[in-house]
Amino acid sequence: MNKFLLILFFVMFVNTNLLSEDNFEKGLRIAKESYESTRGYVDSESDQLMILVDPKGNEVIREISGKTLENDDPNDGDKSIIFFNKPKDVEGTVMLSHTHVNDDDDQWLYLPALGRVKRISSSNKSGSFMGSEIAFEDFSGNDYRKYEWEFIGEEEYEGEICYKLVSIPKYKNSGYTKRIGFTDKLLRPRMIEYFDRKGELLKTLYFEDYQLYNDKIWNADTFRVVNHQNKNKTIYKWINRELNVGINKKDFEKSSLLRLAD
Amino acid sequence: MIYIKILNFALIVTFIFSFNVNALEYKLYGLVQPEFSIFTNGDGKHHQSKNNYSLFTKGNFISYLDERDAKITISAIARYDEKDSERRYIDFQKLKYEQYFENYTFKIGNEIIFWGVNESFNIIDIINQSNLAEDMTGTKKLGQPLLSLAYDNNYGTIDLYLMPYFIERKFPSKNGRPRLALEVDQNSITYESSSKEQKLDFALRYSMVYDDYDIGIAHFHGNNRAPQLNINPSTLKFNPHYTTLSQTSLDIQATKGAWLYKLEALSAKDGNERHLGVAGGFEYTFYGIRDSQSDLGLVIEYSFDDRNSYPFNNDSVAALRWTKNDINSTSLLAGMFIDMRGNSNRFIAEYEQRINNNVKLFIDATFNGSIDSQDFTYAFEEDSVFSIKLARYF
Repeated sequence: MNKFLLILFFVMFVNTNLLSEDNFEKGLRIAKESYESTRGYVDSESDQLMILVDPKGNEVIREISGKTLENDDPNDGDKSIIFFNKPKDVEGTVMLSHTHVNDDDDQWLYLPALGRVKRISSSNKSGSFMGSEIAFEDFSGNDYRKYEWEFIGEEEYEGEICYKLVSIPKYKNSGYTKRIGFTDKLLRPRMIEYFDRKGELLKTLYFEDYQLYNDKIWNADTFRVVNHQNKNKTIYKWINRELNVGINKKDFEKSSLLRLAD
Repeated sequence: MIYIKILNFALIVTFIFSFNVNALEYKLYGLVQPEFSIFTNGDGKHHQSKNNYSLFTKGNFISYLDERDAKITISAIARYDEKDSERRYIDFQKLKYEQYFENYTFKIGNEIIFWGVNESFNIIDIINQSNLAEDMTGTKKLGQPLLSLAYDNNYGTIDLYLMPYFIERKFPSKNGRPRLALEVDQNSITYESSSKEQKLDFALRYSMVYDDYDIGIAHFHGNNRAPQLNINPSTLKFNPHYTTLSQTSLDIQATKGAWLYKLEALSAKDGNERHLGVAGGFEYTFYGIRDSQSDLGLVIEYSFDDRNSYPFNNDSVAALRWTKNDINSTSLLAGMFIDMRGNSNRFIAEYEQRINNNVKLFIDATFNGSIDSQDFTYAFEEDSVFSIKLARYF
């Protein structure tokens, strides 16, 4: 009987705790759970295709391939290598990034024409990636630690009831003042609206082609971005993505850049 | 030089065919680039021509073997030049075989190795010979035959290089523009070392990344890449003399947000004389200027050397780099070189933009301002030039 009372008390206590969760705590909890559901991928390899569309409908193709490594240190960011293939004038260029959560990343660029590895400034996470409507900071936009969160309700998005979350970047060099997005009940971000430094609506990112990888991790294999100010569009596709492939960790160090460059 | 190239090539061809060629995983790419130059001061000091056509091409072949534990790289450049016979050449920039072990990398063949951090004054970069026929500033290099072993661990990387054969510096010919005041007589080369071009040069470099700092310490011993140019009174040509150089160098870059701080320093014994060189500066980038996607970078560098004869012994450069970050990767670099001892200055501008996925346009301009008659660049005072290059990539 005593045991029963104890359990009852415990359940009530926990419930009260949940009930007393305010919208900031709830927003943070959903964002954290969403982020954590994408973790444990260990490493990944993929080809990436980008289609840049201007307001007249002209299309330009970009092709890269990439590797990422999950950081053992949960307080630090992941590491990535990008190999540029198209446009042809950047073929052979390689970029290595050691990302950090709320600080500048460490980035090195291998420039084949000069046979030179350059450490580059990375305080421009808000800059365009290869002339697209996607910024560097958008690739890690699901990292809950980078934002202050607020849950502002549930709304239907594409026929599903989703959490509506407001996120405000903590990083001082972010290109955004605010994001408003929908995350579905499987904790997958479905759409995010970005507001620029002046507070005006800049662009919308749609997460499409969700695939369940290794029976546990949902990844959107297409990012579709519509810029509301310059009317450009970017379609970013991940092809042949594989998780947990067993990439040598040393590949993600500066000293390996010359070896990996081709 | 030729026989080393043939030897290299034979080595690699043998290697490729010792494997099942059909199973090769390879990559092939390159470019063809017609170029046209117009000189704005007429025919120039040495009665060269006021315009010039040239064709540059580059091909890369990369193949992996042994489940990516080995790699073969062939990277060749070639140029045909209308006027300058020294600008008609083929060079194997890379023609190498690499084998990777857990912490070691072994490499044999021609290679391009860059040391340093500066944008302009790359004073410590010593492994490769400069091709001055290609570019008077010395930034264009020739492939160096070498053997190398690299060892890396968590504390950094140690690279050891053995260079069994010396590559002579290339200079523009009599009809080249720009060119030196006198022709360089490549048939009258002398060396301090009795082994001459067969001297076994060696180099050692330790490099590491510590937080925001990229640091390199290196030592080189061998034939100096830069020859002394002595006037031969009977031919009135320059006779190159290659001294033996021992150079110890340090290079550091600190990356602090939008600021990059750079320093290269060296102490060297060249022949019997010791000299000291220090060059460095900073780079700062303004991102998203005027609420656009454009960036504007400012580069300021200074070079000091305690030799009076060294061309960059008290020189500075200030440049602005504008990158539009658009679909065409449009960018413009404009800068000014100032010799602070004399009164020489020179302006450069480099514009580039992609035309489509496979074609890129480059427009370069060099304007010589006042040039001191004591400065070695006085020989190309009248060589202000516009160049248009159109690269077609394949």
